[in-house]
Amino acid sequence: MRLFRWKAIVPLLLLGALVAGLWILFADRMAKGTTESVGTTLVGAKVEIDRMHLDVAHSRVEVRGLTVASPFEPLENLLQADLLVADLEPLPLLEKKLVIDRLAATGLRFGTPRQSDGRTVGQSDGVMGQVERWGQQLQVPALQLATGKISLDRLDPAQLNTPRLATALAAQADSSRTAWVSGLDALGTQAAVDSSARMVERLKGAKLTDVKLLGDARRTLEQVKRTEERLTALERSVTSGMATLQASAAGLAEARQRDYALARGLLKLPGLDAPDIGAALFGRAAVQRFQRALYWAQLARRYMPPGLLPRATPGPRRVRRAGTTVHFPRSNEPPAFLLKSADLSLSVASRGYSARLTGVTSDPALYGRPAEARGTAPGFRLAALLDHVRATPRDTAAASLADVALPSLRLPALGARLEPGAGVVGFRFVMQGDQVQARWTVTSDRVRWVRDSAGGRSSIGDVVWRAISGISTLEVSARLAGDLDHPELAVGSNLDRAIADRLRAMAGTELAAAERRVRAQVDSLTDGPMSAARSKVAALGGEVTGRLGGQRAQLDQARRALEQRLPGLRLP
Amino acid sequence: MLLLKLIQSLVKTLHSEGTPGQVAAGLALGSILGLTPLLSLHNAVVVGLIVLLNVSIPGAMLGWALFTPIGFLLDPLFDAIGRALLLGALALRPLWTALYNLPVVPLTSFNNTVVLGSLVVSLALCVPVFYGARLGVTRYRATVAERVRRSALYRAMTASKLYGLYRLFRPE
Repeated sequence: MRLFRWKAIVPLLLLGALVAGLWILFADRMAKGTTESVGTTLVGAKVEIDRMHLDVAHSRVEVRGLTVASPFEPLENLLQADLLVADLEPLPLLEKKLVIDRLAATGLRFGTPRQSDGRTVGQSDGVMGQVERWGQQLQVPALQLATGKISLDRLDPAQLNTPRLATALAAQADSSRTAWVSGLDALGTQAAVDSSARMVERLKGAKLTDVKLLGDARRTLEQVKRTEERLTALERSVTSGMATLQASAAGLAEARQRDYALARGLLKLPGLDAPDIGAALFGRAAVQRFQRALYWAQLARRYMPPGLLPRATPGPRRVRRAGTTVHFPRSNEPPAFLLKSADLSLSVASRGYSARLTGVTSDPALYGRPAEARGTAPGFRLAALLDHVRATPRDTAAASLADVALPSLRLPALGARLEPGAGVVGFRFVMQGDQVQARWTVTSDRVRWVRDSAGGRSSIGDVVWRAISGISTLEVSARLAGDLDHPELAVGSNLDRAIADRLRAMAGTELAAAERRVRAQVDSLTDGPMSAARSKVAALGGEVTGRLGGQRAQLDQARRALEQRLPGLRLP
Repeated sequence: MLLLKLIQSLVKTLHSEGTPGQVAAGLALGSILGLTPLLSLHNAVVVGLIVLLNVSIPGAMLGWALFTPIGFLLDPLFDAIGRALLLGALALRPLWTALYNLPVVPLTSFNNTVVLGSLVVSLALCVPVFYGARLGVTRYRATVAERVRRSALYRAMTASKLYGLYRLFRPE
């Protein structure tokens, strides 16, 4: 029997040639599919390519008709590009690494409309979910002047904290009472007192030489003393427990103040201070922009992590389980992905600009330099730096665009739309470690106001409309600063003072009345549970303290009686 | 239909001219194809071995067919083993790092938990599969093979076109 099947070599070579032929035929299609799949996973929205061509001889890839859907808006593209040409380094491909020497992108357009929803990631999933939750925690005051009615929605008792706290306090008082009464019963005070009384009787007429009786008397006295000590310990526990309960009872008043504030939100009117008005008008739009910047920064941190530790990513999609693919970067080796430089020719608001991108890599520590984006042109400035080389990543981005038609801004609170016209928009975002600082500004001196035809009208709305419709300039500034988990948002605009003054003049009295109604509703829902909890705590204090005092007096009396009968007895 | 093909393949394999060792070797190599994700570079090597080495190709096909569903079933186990090897075993990290930065080796996707876990398990199972299959084929041929060969069902199977194709690559 021979070891090798020599006659199979030719069929095997034919099979190899067939596979190679199929690869040549379908490589473009496979590369296109892979690129779309990987891109879609990375961005969290559909990436589509019209045509892709691999030029193996020249290590070049051409992508025509690239469309990246927006992960934020359902019917909007993030960008579209007419042509991308990438020159690759061939050797790293053998290590399954993609190193792009130079990328030229032409015809880049942003925010173009699309026919279908291109989002692939649910709003509650992954980075998008985190960013959504992060945005929700930023408190933006509500303002609803479109209808002008200061209406109060029905308060849901479940929204209020005070009844819940009061119920919990009452339950805590009940359980404390049960524990303390059990403790009192377990002390055995009555047994000690009875035993002491019997011993006092026995000691009457007893001789000092009756050593056994004296020993019994000593033990009885010790029993009384031990009971007293346990009683003292219980007293301490009761005192501290009562202090906690009383503090909780006092805290109910603060909880009710918070509930007043919460219920006030149902009026859909902020406080009449200018900063509140600014936040109510432009806060949501500012948060939306900060959320988008944070989304990209978090994605960059996920896919461009600092350090050289092994990194796990989801495996490729296949019929079998995808598993996890682990990357093992090593110093002095090429990164798994590196885009050395890219020249971008882009179009914003029908104007052409150019920008340059360098050092985008999956392993910044290997590349050793931060990723940079830069673009300058008359009226346009863009600079971004993703420094993930060191352990604490620092991401900064700043952009400004002048003399371009700014997109209109809907202000549902006012029942109006703002057409800023040609103006200047600026954005700055810095995230170092977990600290974030961001600023969004809009300036225009040719503002046009358009009142929404839909929706109700009101006298308050009319007055505010008259106040703002005469304003032809717009200056909005939103700032975000602080810890990423709890940043502070401050929004201001030149409209704030005008609206606040008008509101105060027109709606001050009505607002005060509405606030009184709010407080009455909160009181009606909280008074009962609060009183019940407070009276339980008060009653508990009286009952347990009284029983403790009674038992203390009985034990004192028993101990004194014993000690009088045994004047010479000294216990340690 | 699939089950019928499998039975047909099993019967033909057991009655092929190959020795029990050749059938068992084919089955062992086929088990690697079945247990690991098919479109992996190492499976090109396995296919090359099956074709070039004088092992039973029907045995390999049978091994592939038998072990593919087992591979699907054991994927969670492969994932866990691969994870433990790639991420848990610190002593192996220098080896993975070196392999990851070598030419061609990363194309095998060895750094995927399912690929590595299934490859390790299939290689470990190769030897018991080989000896078990060899023993089974030997016993079968010594006991019931002749009766099966005389049955009408067997004659129907061997008359099919697939059998003709098999004869082209039968072990020598």
